[in-house]
Amino acid sequence: MTTTTVTTASPEKPAPVAVADERPRARRRGLAPGRRLPAARLTGPLLLLALWALASAAGRLDPGAVPAPWTVLETGVRLWTDGTLTDDVLTSLQRAGSGFAIGLTAGVLLALASGLTRTGEALIDGTVNLNRAIPTLGLIPLFILWLGIGETFKIAIIAIVVYIPIYLNTHAALSGIDHRFVELAEVQGLSKLAFIREIVVPGALPGFFVGLRLGVTGSWLGLVVLEQINATSGLGYLMFQAQNYGQSDVILVGLVVYGVFGLISDSTVRIIERRVLSWRRTLSN
Amino acid sequence: MAPHAEQLTRPAVRLEGLTRSFEGRTVLDRVDLDIPAGQFVALLGHSGSGKSTLLRAVAGLDHQVTGSGRLTAPERVSVVFQDSRLLPWRRVLANVLLGLDGKAAEERGREALAEVGLAGRERAWPNELSGGEAQRAALARSLVREPELLLADEPFGALDALTRIRMHALLRELWERHRPSVLLVTHDVDEAIVLADRVLVLDQGRIGLDLTIDRPHPRSYRDPLLGEYRERLLAALGVTEDHR
Repeated sequence: MTTTTVTTASPEKPAPVAVADERPRARRRGLAPGRRLPAARLTGPLLLLALWALASAAGRLDPGAVPAPWTVLETGVRLWTDGTLTDDVLTSLQRAGSGFAIGLTAGVLLALASGLTRTGEALIDGTVNLNRAIPTLGLIPLFILWLGIGETFKIAIIAIVVYIPIYLNTHAALSGIDHRFVELAEVQGLSKLAFIREIVVPGALPGFFVGLRLGVTGSWLGLVVLEQINATSGLGYLMFQAQNYGQSDVILVGLVVYGVFGLISDSTVRIIERRVLSWRRTLSN
Repeated sequence: MAPHAEQLTRPAVRLEGLTRSFEGRTVLDRVDLDIPAGQFVALLGHSGSGKSTLLRAVAGLDHQVTGSGRLTAPERVSVVFQDSRLLPWRRVLANVLLGLDGKAAEERGREALAEVGLAGRERAWPNELSGGEAQRAALARSLVREPELLLADEPFGALDALTRIRMHALLRELWERHRPSVLLVTHDVDEAIVLADRVLVLDQGRIGLDLTIDRPHPRSYRDPLLGEYRERLLAALGVTEDHR
């Protein structure tokens, strides 16, 4: 029988003689999951895709409900080349982009006003939390009455979905700034502006990025809902139409595009976050 | 450079009847104290004796504290805290320069880092520094502003014993070169004796003992004459033979 052992005695030292319970110590069993497999995150999705392709090729899937991967690809290429997809994607991007930009600005400004002044806190914080308690998508009927069924109301809803997580996380980070750093700023004689630049903003950035990622996800979610219920253009509308005509391949193309958007935007935020918060990386290295 | 005789007679810090209380409990009780310019003073006391309150009052950090009395302190005051209090999101040099602008300041910052033995670490992040290095950087940050008064609140309390001895030598050396008045708050009797020229014992909000330590520097912990000072200080702190 072979046993894997690690001898702790160094080679130049003679082994201790006549010690009864001197046994080579076995390395302790590791409890961590161990080394990561190569391309670990892609393995699962690729396997699923392979299963899907196999089942389609074997004719085990109803092509009306779940079309084959290559059908979806073909439909995608066709929709793209005839311009339908491009137009709808651009419309959707514009909505999500405008709403996101407005929500981002509002979230950050409100968080700063509420985090830095007592008056701001009294006016803003409770109001935003009240707003948070109402599911934003429930505001849709009211907003249609107020703003009409055009683009404005869609952008407004997306902006609300985005600003709430950004406000909440940024505000929490602002109020969580270590009091010792405030004291330091006083001792160093920092001006209010320098205090915000040197301590408040960098200190609140980690929280802001958490909010930002939630906001990005929220903007896509809001977009999907809005486009499927009240739109005459856009990716969601395309999918909604496809549902009426039973074109499951078109629906799948829409879902793939949404997924790609989500992935790209989330990775972008992550890359920016890693660069801006590079001082944190030294902890994990 | 030896401090000018006239400078020494003009106090850098003057407390007259300084009183501070928290929720009805008097922490500082009519404290009178003069610290001449350029003097190295250590302030000893039990925890809760009010020594940190006194330091924070002199630093102007006691905003919402009720109190009375008069307090005179110089314009340029630097504080070294028990933790290095470096901003984790700023590199070491930027931390040293916190609150200062311009090329000239940057040059002084580099010099201050070199003085505390951190030349070459300007671009390091604070969490890459060891505890001792971080406290050196904090010293550099307080030096770069050329303080007339240096307040230190148990600055070596969180360091290991070996690092602490090295930091003692460094602080004394920096003081000899720059000659600010120093008020060092500590609970370590030996630290006070080795570093300071005058040791105050704060007891229940009043200065219970004001002791001038007239021994040449650098001092050794083993100097038998310092032993007498130690006995007197320990007695003032209420530590007698049978406690040890």
